[in-house]
Amino acid sequence: MKAFLTIVLKEIRLFLRSTGLVAAVLFFFLVDVYIVGNDIEIEPKNVKIGYVDYSDSPLANRILSKLHEPEFKPPIMFKSQKELTRAIYEKKIVAGIIFEADFERRYTRGLNTKIDLLLDSTAATQSLLTLNYLQKIILSLSERTPPVELKIHKLFNQNADTKKFMPLAELLSILTLFGVILSASVFVKEKEQGTWDIMLLTPVDSKVIIFAKTSSQVIILFLLTMISTGIDLFGIFDLPLNGSFLAYMGLTILFLYSIAGIGLFVAAVSNTIMEVAQWSVFLMMPIIFLSGAWTPIYSMNEYLQYLSYLSPLRYYIEGVESVLFRGTATADLWLYFAGMGAIGAILFGIGYKKIGRLF
Amino acid sequence: MRLGVIKAYMAKEFTDLKRSKMIFLVYLLPVMILILFGYGIRLEVKEARTTIIDMDSSKLSRELCDSFIHSKYFEAKIKNIDYREALEEIKRAKTDIVIIVPPSFERDIAKGLKGEIGVFIDASFPLRGQVMQSYVEGVAFDLAKKLSPQKRPTIMVNQRLLFNQSLRDENAILPGLIALALLVAPAILAALLIVKEKEKGTIFNFYSSPVTKYEFLTAKLTPAFLLHSINIFIAFLIATYIFEVPFRGSFLLFLIASELYVATAVGIGLLVSIVTKTQIAATVLSMLITIIPSFLYSGMLMPISAMEGGSFIEAHLFPVMYYSHILYDTFLIGEGLGSSKNIIYLVALAAYALILMIAGSYLLKKEL
Repeated sequence: MKAFLTIVLKEIRLFLRSTGLVAAVLFFFLVDVYIVGNDIEIEPKNVKIGYVDYSDSPLANRILSKLHEPEFKPPIMFKSQKELTRAIYEKKIVAGIIFEADFERRYTRGLNTKIDLLLDSTAATQSLLTLNYLQKIILSLSERTPPVELKIHKLFNQNADTKKFMPLAELLSILTLFGVILSASVFVKEKEQGTWDIMLLTPVDSKVIIFAKTSSQVIILFLLTMISTGIDLFGIFDLPLNGSFLAYMGLTILFLYSIAGIGLFVAAVSNTIMEVAQWSVFLMMPIIFLSGAWTPIYSMNEYLQYLSYLSPLRYYIEGVESVLFRGTATADLWLYFAGMGAIGAILFGIGYKKIGRLF
Repeated sequence: MRLGVIKAYMAKEFTDLKRSKMIFLVYLLPVMILILFGYGIRLEVKEARTTIIDMDSSKLSRELCDSFIHSKYFEAKIKNIDYREALEEIKRAKTDIVIIVPPSFERDIAKGLKGEIGVFIDASFPLRGQVMQSYVEGVAFDLAKKLSPQKRPTIMVNQRLLFNQSLRDENAILPGLIALALLVAPAILAALLIVKEKEKGTIFNFYSSPVTKYEFLTAKLTPAFLLHSINIFIAFLIATYIFEVPFRGSFLLFLIASELYVATAVGIGLLVSIVTKTQIAATVLSMLITIIPSFLYSGMLMPISAMEGGSFIEAHLFPVMYYSHILYDTFLIGEGLGSSKNIIYLVALAAYALILMIAGSYLLKKEL
């Protein structure tokens, strides 16, 4: 036990001494999470639209005036359809509305009329939003009270606030990347610097060495996660905590050990830090993309859906989402704990066996 | 510049790349980015799991339920449960949308009152939440239009989808992904090739030998550039064959823009290698300054025109925006050099490549 603690403390001290790495890691966990949470706004806002009004009518103006902020920027006027199309082609605007010359005349005479709408469908969400708004506006023109009204409630994230979800997804992705890199390089460092053999000569059981080295990185990563959770998630982005924080910590530790298992495997197969970096990027991307962090799992390709059961991040992210947003009771989280425990045991087992052969 | 020296140095680099298995990184990384993200990112919502609680059971409410059931956007089930149970289902992520039709729905509408429908949407994925809301609104809009008395003239919205008529996610995402892949991979490779020597101490061979700074750089960066030029073709083939993205523009424009872009990426790697000392730091730093801007400013997730203030300026500072504009043009739009914006952006890319190279070679020191 004493040997275990000594190794853990030594590795933590070594980590703290490499100031460049500490700075980079802190940057990722604090600043990067902030940047992503703050800058990525995939919800449609400030959509730029243009229009050509050949009818020059109050009705057209009335329709346009209802396309307002924050969803839309004030519509830009174009002189001809050609200019409007050009602007869409050059991606200056996402949607263009064309009112024909007889637009209002037909309407006041009680004839059916139409509005032409050109949409840049590479920005599908924004296009859809414009179309929906336009239809809603038209409906409100012809009826004093619309016969059907929706009372929409969005759950967990009342105003569908990206700012609450993105930083969480980013933090968990970063954790995955660094989990593999740090837990692998703690071994490979010794290989690269030639101190591996000295490590083998120490009168400490190889099991203890492996567990102590891994645990030291798990501790570092756990602390970083807690710091980032406190400052970025709860402090800056004001994420809710509807469940138990203890369950969050438990899930984090379990996840870190599963990832460390992958790190052990990487450590076994690489001889230089450069190979570690390659392997980590290579393994990290499927783990993240199969986790459902960026795309819900049931909307993936069928084969990928099965594969996603192998990603420890899947259990972690669903568990954390349940704890933070949904407020699921700790007892109901057993599925996530069990799934991650199983995957973690397998990954750690493989990694342990692989690196154990080198001792 | 002595060609013989450069040739010898370059031969050494290629051998090194082969021996250190780095060659895998060169081709595996971009291919993986394209395939994984291409299959992985889904912006459209299909078959949103919908639970309908029909407390009215009238002709009208059934009609409403049917339009949900028959829509390809919803996978709707009518359940005879309490609404609290249904909300519990959302909490457990078992369903995405809960629609509650109140008992008096048809009666209210017949009386000329508003028929209110309660809708609960899981917005844990904000973008999906927004899209699902749009879909539900669409169904309600159709119903409302049917119900409204035909006294007033109707206004039709005649929509035309440009560029991506079938609204395929692949078409909207793949060009952006190419911009990501062709920036990240060359930057990491170029940075590692130089930092590797720094970390191992073999950089002293360069310091003490009569090789000049420019010969050294040419020998180091040309392999990175050449190897990744092949990736341009690989990326093109993956996009057009595997993901079946249409290609409507000129291949020549695509090729020239891509080569300039790869040169820019190599330039970024060069700058990274100057400020870092260890390979791990170089990898992390190159990823940091390439991945996030590529995602943010390629127009993949959000159109540049919808950006404001800080992000609008940042988008113009990174080379990604210029390249991805040309990419989207060559793949989906096909304006080519007929559009002045494409020409300006092409020049901007060339300027980026040139400035980064000049800055890099100026900052690289040949002594300690």
